[in-house]
Amino acid sequence: MIWSGIIICGVITFLIRFIPMSGIISKELSPSAKNSFKYIPLAVLTPIIINDLSIFENNTLFLFKNYKIYAGLISIIVAFITNNILATISIGMASYIFMSNFINI
Amino acid sequence: MKKIEVFKQGIFEELPLQLGVFPFGIIYGIMAIESGLTPMQAFLMSSIIFGGASQVAFVQLISSNTPFGVIVTTVGAINSRHFLYSISMMEYLKSLSLKWRIVLAYLLTDEAYAISIRKFINEPNISFLHFHLLGTGMTLFLSWQTSTLMGVFLGGDLPQFLDLQFIIPLTFIAIIVPMIKSVSTFLVVIASAFSGLILKSLDINFWIIISGIIGVVIGLASSRLDK
Repeated sequence: MIWSGIIICGVITFLIRFIPMSGIISKELSPSAKNSFKYIPLAVLTPIIINDLSIFENNTLFLFKNYKIYAGLISIIVAFITNNILATISIGMASYIFMSNFINI
Repeated sequence: MKKIEVFKQGIFEELPLQLGVFPFGIIYGIMAIESGLTPMQAFLMSSIIFGGASQVAFVQLISSNTPFGVIVTTVGAINSRHFLYSISMMEYLKSLSLKWRIVLAYLLTDEAYAISIRKFINEPNISFLHFHLLGTGMTLFLSWQTSTLMGVFLGGDLPQFLDLQFIIPLTFIAIIVPMIKSVSTFLVVIASAFSGLILKSLDINFWIIISGIIGVVIGLASSRLDK
């Protein structure tokens, strides 16, 4: 199951990268197709982030006693200001470690 | 310029980006083992898929018993942006042999594209441009494989209090926040975030895909607001 998943995902990923370069399809995409490609990474990665920052217990969301949400918000601000991957990760991680070890909410 | 010079230029220009790639690879390796993959599966996934964010999503979804179809669709959706990269590269690579195009398509990742496309646009007339993409792509490939291997074998020795898995959402935040440049992209994030939360709390299996589709539809519907 895992092996077949890895191989299928590998083939799909390769085809996504190869098909335009192969010359099989027309170079020009419709504007709406181009627009939707622009939105897909945002639309797929955002729910994954939300899932990683949330704590669900019996399908109930815990918003307030959750250090990850606060650290996530800090890293969003850092990402907006600095536009820097390393700064976003290190400040977000440092604030999470600090809050989870030294602050009791 | 000689082939080797263009190739070396690709390598040297790609190297600084490894500061971000290397820790990400280690985290992927750790997560893959914690999600129940064997070391061989974890390591070979980095060569077979060779797509950082999608590999992390794969192991996260495996660990939460997500249906197979959702995992495959999610990986495809996350990597779909490479389709656009490939289209923009085609102009410069169309005269190459099929063998070359297969190799370069395999190596076409975010970081390799970001560096090489700049070179392609700024210096379109230099010879052997494809060796630049070969250099950036191979640098990234070696870095990703090495860091995955380190994560697979050293992961268990890292201190627990670090909770390194938290680096994954932080990395995704660092990737998507700079993409929010317009009203429509902002609305995509808001729509997919809220629909993700609601669908997840309703315990709906395909919540990532459905909330992704909702986000794209909202983006397309609101794209006029950008003008």
